[in-house]
Amino acid sequence: MAGNLKSGGAYALTPHKVALCALMQIYVPPAENAAPTPFSSVSEHNGLGLFLLSLTKSCDSVLEPNLDKLINQLMEIGGLVNQWISQHLTCRLSALSTPDDLFNLFSGLQSVLGGNGARSGLDDSILLDPNSQLGIFVRRCVLAFNQLSFEGVCHLLTNIGTYCKKSHASCSTYQSRQDDDFDNASEELMSFEHLLFGKVSENLAAETKAWDGFVFHLHAPRSLFRLIEGSKALSGLDHDKEKGFDVSSSTDGLGTDDYSGSFFLRTNWQVQGYLREQADLIEKHGSSYPFNAFESVLNQLKNLAPELHRVHYLRYLNSLYHDDYLASSENLLRYFDYSAGAEGIDIALSSFPGMSFGRYEIALLCLGKMHCHFGHPKQALEVLSEAVQVSQQHNDDTCLSYTLAAICNLLSEIGILSASGMIGSSTMLATTFGSSLSIQQQLLVLLTRSLKRAESLKLTRLVAANHLAMAKFDLTHVKRPLLSFGPKSSSKLKTCPSNVLKELRLSSYLLSEFGSDGAPLTIDGAFSTTWLKNLKKPMASSIFLHENEPGSRNNTFQFGAQPSPIHGSVLHLAGSSYLLRATAWELYGSAPLARMNALVNVTCFADASSAADVELGYVKLIQSLAIFKGYTEAFNALKVAEDKFISISKSRIQILKLQLLHDRALHQGNLKLAQRVCDELGVLASSVTGVDMELKAEACLRHARTLLSAHQYGQAAAVARSLFFMCHKFNLQVENATTLLLFAEIHKRSGSVVLGLPYALASLSFCQSFNLDLLEATATLTLAELWLSLGSDHAKRALTLVNRALPIILGHGGLELCSRAYMAVAKCYLSDPSFSVYDDPEIVLDPLRQASEELEVLEFHELAAEAFYLMAMVFNKLGRLEERDEAAASFKKQVSSLENPHEEDLISARPRKKFRSF
Amino acid sequence: MRCTIAQPTPLNSIETREHDIHNQRGRARVQSLADYKKRGNRRWFPKRPAEASSESRSTSSPTDASTPPPDAEQLVGIEQDPAKFTPSHTRFQRGSSSIRRRFGPSDLPSTPLGGALYVATPVHEEDDCADSDFYLLAKAYFDCKEYRRAAHVLRDQTGKKAFFLRCYALYLAGEKRKEEESIELEGPLGKSDAVNRELTSLENELSKQRKNETIDPFGLYLYGIVLRERGREDLARTVLVESVNKYPWNWSAWSELQSLCSTIDILNGLSLKNHWMKDFFLGSAYQELRMHNDSLSKYEYLQGIFRFSNHIQAQIAKAQYSLREFEEVEVIFEELLRNDPYRVEDMDMYSNVLYAKEVFPALSYLAHRVFMTDKYRPESCCIIGNYYSLKGQHEKSVMYFRRALKLNKNYLSAWTLMGHEYVEMKNTPAAVDAYRRAVDINPCDYRAWYGLGQAYEMMCMPYYALYYFRKSVYLQPNDSRLWIAMAQCYETEQLRMLEDAIKCYKRAANCNDREAIALPRLAKLHGELGSFEEAAYYYKKDLERMEAEEREGPNILEALMFLATYCKSQKKFEEAEVYCTRLLDYKGPEKEKAKSLLRGMIAAQSGLSSTEAEHFPP
Repeated sequence: MAGNLKSGGAYALTPHKVALCALMQIYVPPAENAAPTPFSSVSEHNGLGLFLLSLTKSCDSVLEPNLDKLINQLMEIGGLVNQWISQHLTCRLSALSTPDDLFNLFSGLQSVLGGNGARSGLDDSILLDPNSQLGIFVRRCVLAFNQLSFEGVCHLLTNIGTYCKKSHASCSTYQSRQDDDFDNASEELMSFEHLLFGKVSENLAAETKAWDGFVFHLHAPRSLFRLIEGSKALSGLDHDKEKGFDVSSSTDGLGTDDYSGSFFLRTNWQVQGYLREQADLIEKHGSSYPFNAFESVLNQLKNLAPELHRVHYLRYLNSLYHDDYLASSENLLRYFDYSAGAEGIDIALSSFPGMSFGRYEIALLCLGKMHCHFGHPKQALEVLSEAVQVSQQHNDDTCLSYTLAAICNLLSEIGILSASGMIGSSTMLATTFGSSLSIQQQLLVLLTRSLKRAESLKLTRLVAANHLAMAKFDLTHVKRPLLSFGPKSSSKLKTCPSNVLKELRLSSYLLSEFGSDGAPLTIDGAFSTTWLKNLKKPMASSIFLHENEPGSRNNTFQFGAQPSPIHGSVLHLAGSSYLLRATAWELYGSAPLARMNALVNVTCFADASSAADVELGYVKLIQSLAIFKGYTEAFNALKVAEDKFISISKSRIQILKLQLLHDRALHQGNLKLAQRVCDELGVLASSVTGVDMELKAEACLRHARTLLSAHQYGQAAAVARSLFFMCHKFNLQVENATTLLLFAEIHKRSGSVVLGLPYALASLSFCQSFNLDLLEATATLTLAELWLSLGSDHAKRALTLVNRALPIILGHGGLELCSRAYMAVAKCYLSDPSFSVYDDPEIVLDPLRQASEELEVLEFHELAAEAFYLMAMVFNKLGRLEERDEAAASFKKQVSSLENPHEEDLISARPRKKFRSF
Repeated sequence: MRCTIAQPTPLNSIETREHDIHNQRGRARVQSLADYKKRGNRRWFPKRPAEASSESRSTSSPTDASTPPPDAEQLVGIEQDPAKFTPSHTRFQRGSSSIRRRFGPSDLPSTPLGGALYVATPVHEEDDCADSDFYLLAKAYFDCKEYRRAAHVLRDQTGKKAFFLRCYALYLAGEKRKEEESIELEGPLGKSDAVNRELTSLENELSKQRKNETIDPFGLYLYGIVLRERGREDLARTVLVESVNKYPWNWSAWSELQSLCSTIDILNGLSLKNHWMKDFFLGSAYQELRMHNDSLSKYEYLQGIFRFSNHIQAQIAKAQYSLREFEEVEVIFEELLRNDPYRVEDMDMYSNVLYAKEVFPALSYLAHRVFMTDKYRPESCCIIGNYYSLKGQHEKSVMYFRRALKLNKNYLSAWTLMGHEYVEMKNTPAAVDAYRRAVDINPCDYRAWYGLGQAYEMMCMPYYALYYFRKSVYLQPNDSRLWIAMAQCYETEQLRMLEDAIKCYKRAANCNDREAIALPRLAKLHGELGSFEEAAYYYKKDLERMEAEEREGPNILEALMFLATYCKSQKKFEEAEVYCTRLLDYKGPEKEKAKSLLRGMIAAQSGLSSTEAEHFPP
């Protein structure tokens, strides 16, 4: 990690480290002064040892803590002993007044170390193993001191002086010193600082209030706080507060220390670990990560360590996820200019070090990914193909396989019309594929190649991700043989669900493999923190049991919970595999399985996967809620989700909200609102061709539906046609099936039934070849309706069709679909001339009753009115007048609410207003 | 290593001020300037008090050397008295002595007549008593660079001058300590930010003085520096403007002010009194803002007044260099070296010119001379580096650039030149690093951006390189070389974005493309893209140009060949004939081809006429 830095071994001696050394001497008392150890029990002694160990390893911030903080932490860990220790420490440090004192301290430190020296034979003395973490720490400190020039010793001395003094100085003094740092607005600054402190103390107060839940927050060192974060997130508590606390405390560090050089960086190793952790956090939380606070930390870091180029990378990430194109590209390029790609990227580790060339292909890869993120497909492709070339040129297989995966990702996510314009320009892709292949075929070739490459290089994570990509591809594409001639051309043109599931299973299987070896991923900082957390747990709990008996009893079991040994990114991948499963089942038409998988993602992987993924899981759940339980419940759930994900840009929740609003408006017959919502949905998509295709298709589809409900058949057909062309152009097969169905619907409603039949049939065949079972059932239903409206002669045929579709519709279909099926059944019977109501009225009435109930839940007034009308007619025929009147009254109610949707507007306006405020 | 702490400028001014007080020479000077204006006497040149400004600049802003230090020399090109100008005299005496020499006993005690234009040197009554033993002792300590001692002596003195000297001594003591610390504290991840620890207390004190309005222009100057280092640039600007308006002859204040003017808007927003020092200021500020033509005209105007000033001459050379008029720059520098043979300042630019013109002997002579004069100056190292680079000994060259950077780590052109050397040595990562450092020191350095682009292009990353070329072109849109580099990037095998390449070449052709690369490339690209009309247009233009410049080369053959075939296909036989006959002058296959073309044309024409003859018999 630090080996890439110019002088990675250099180790700056700081007052904090001197303090640790002093503590070390208490922990390992010199044998010659036979004074009794201050510790009353072994556990206390161990507590101090673990504390020291965690201090040397933790990477929770950039700066070393000041003496106050150290002493506070010390006091919190233990009781009287630690009071004694902290007093001893302060005395010891303030006693250091001449260089000679320092010299004595460090020469005394040597005796702490054991090993194969002379002292190893002595009995009863505790010695540090020179190769242990603490031993290495001590050795490094001693070495650093021995290498120090006299000036360095002087500096250290003055620094220790300020370090001690600062702990006595009160808050106000350093504030006043701080004031003149910035503009004239020192008062403003003050108030800001008060605010800051206020916030911190507020948070602390909040923590205190939460005594029942997580008592030891106040007592444990800071790094312990993070440990809880995970469990908090799991229990659905607010992330932001915790994070706010996190960063405000680090800016607090910024504020309290003035420029006089009294703060010090932790060791390289710790700083790098911190940066790595932050990078993970940024990628996980996306735009909800606090931008400015972290930026100021980075600024400070840059001032303190100008040669630490990783800072630029973090800056890039930070601005990337906050959608600042200029800043992110600037910082990315700067990072690679300085580091030549050799510092601090995961994949850099697996290849041989000491290459003189530099690894600029990684720069290209990152730049390509950045363009992908910002939705610039053309630039992204250009850059990525350059990355392919450069990594081929330099035999960087790892980077090559990552690049190929990135290209696959790009091709699958972004609709690209023809590759010839863009990929053709890059010689490599053009020559290997020939330009005759379609973009989908190219994608398939790339995917298989990338998969093989990753497998041969043993890049487990990449293999898993590639399997996922493959599954995604299989889900929506019919695999055609690449050669159109030969004996194989007769193979079935169908997607293969078993393949999809196989890929998905392979992917998660690999991940479980991965958990066991885990070596290539858990490196330096990340490893140390998880390890540290593991270590701290038992310590914290045992102390806790001694100290605060009443408070801790409830949650001791929480301390015992082992944190997952699997790296976060692996869990993330596993989580997204569940999401993909949910999507697959959605398409294949198994509602319970889809729901279950989404639920697994949301509950089990919430803390590991990125905010966007979790959001998608929520979206899926809410969608199914809307389909199966009606809008009221869906909107209630939406509110919860909204609060959770409000800060994310490009929010899917927002899209979902618009979708729900549109659906409801359509059902309620509030067409103006529907049109408005639909337009807003369209605006959310990017204006670049090929980007956000799904959203664009969706908006188009909804537009056509709105026009259809407004009986503007011509316009609806025109919109549907353009949608069809678009889907065809960008190869969106699933959307194609839906569009065809829409055409059938339009023709059905407009009365040209015969014209609608071929569309329904085409849609049916699409559905069959893509295994879209639920959509197929819907198409069958539509077909039946079409037959039905051709006249009563076809009622029997229609009935058989409906009956064929009925099992899957009733099993997996939503409210609307089920009620439509019920209505169709009833209508079939009613329009069958050979059927008499008097023989068996329930055969008609039962489906009608079912349909009306479900439609009422759905607030689908038009169809509900029809159901009640039919019911009333049947009752009238049967002579059951009372029931007839009841049905008629319901019919009237439905019609009236259809005609003035404004009554309902109150409900729909409320969320709209909120939406406006985005 | 040369310590960047040097004698401060304002002390010169203090010294002059002393004389102002005691001899009223300052007034005399202003008076005689007014006289000069009246009489139009062009032989009179005002003396600039701020002599050592370059050095004081490096003290006041050791982090900012991107602006070349202003000239330390006198504005006057007058004869120097060798007897008085001995090394034993400090610069202070030099400044005052020349004044004394000139105005001696004929001083006039009256206030200057310059009106609002020329601000009189402020009169400090209390200075008479302030010039006490304490002050003199402190001054002596100060001259011996014992800053803290000097400040301590003055701890209870209240006079303005004593106050300034004390603050300034403290400031310099802090600077000195900072420089030392930044070396002592160099951490594993680069320098930790050593700061001048006196700044806070100085700022408090100075702001108090300013509030009480008991501060003099020198105090204001110091306050400005302190504010700037504390990052409060707006206030610093106001304070410095106040300072130069009260006392315009403090060049250090001007140059501080200039470093705070990063855009033309800020510059125009300053409320400066219209003093002639302002012209110097504007000239240098324009240069910094890359408005080279404005700067040049300013300096040329000033040269009309201060005719023998080396400083102005050097500045003109600088502006010309930025406009790439190398011939003129060379002439100016030759003259400058004749007048001022021990000059090191700005000589790196001269060496760049010599490098570009590949004049080995002159460059080696220059390198030798500066080496003898002062080898530990960044400029000297840079010149030697340039010499080795011209000799093709890039390792040695890098060594000298490194030395230059050791002397001044913010020496912009050394970073860029070192990048060039690394490119020559095919060590692209090192080159990229060097260029990037240059760019981070001054993001307006188009050469470094260009270098970055070039380095990446060398590594077969043309698309990546485009970003950098775009940056450099944005900063210097009138430089054809940059446009051509960008066009070549678009043209590479990997990208083949020919339309974009054509756009770039067009821009290049419009900006005075001296190497004449753009026109033939344009013609060729148009030919490749099948737009023959444009191709013919550019070939013709290229041909005209080659004729005008009397150049020969394969291009001419190509152009003639294309034009001949094109005209023939367009049935412009006469024109085609002209081109063919011109082709006949050359040897090689083209000649044969031209012959056959001619034959074909004649046959066609005669065939045409014969058919005509058949159809329309006379």
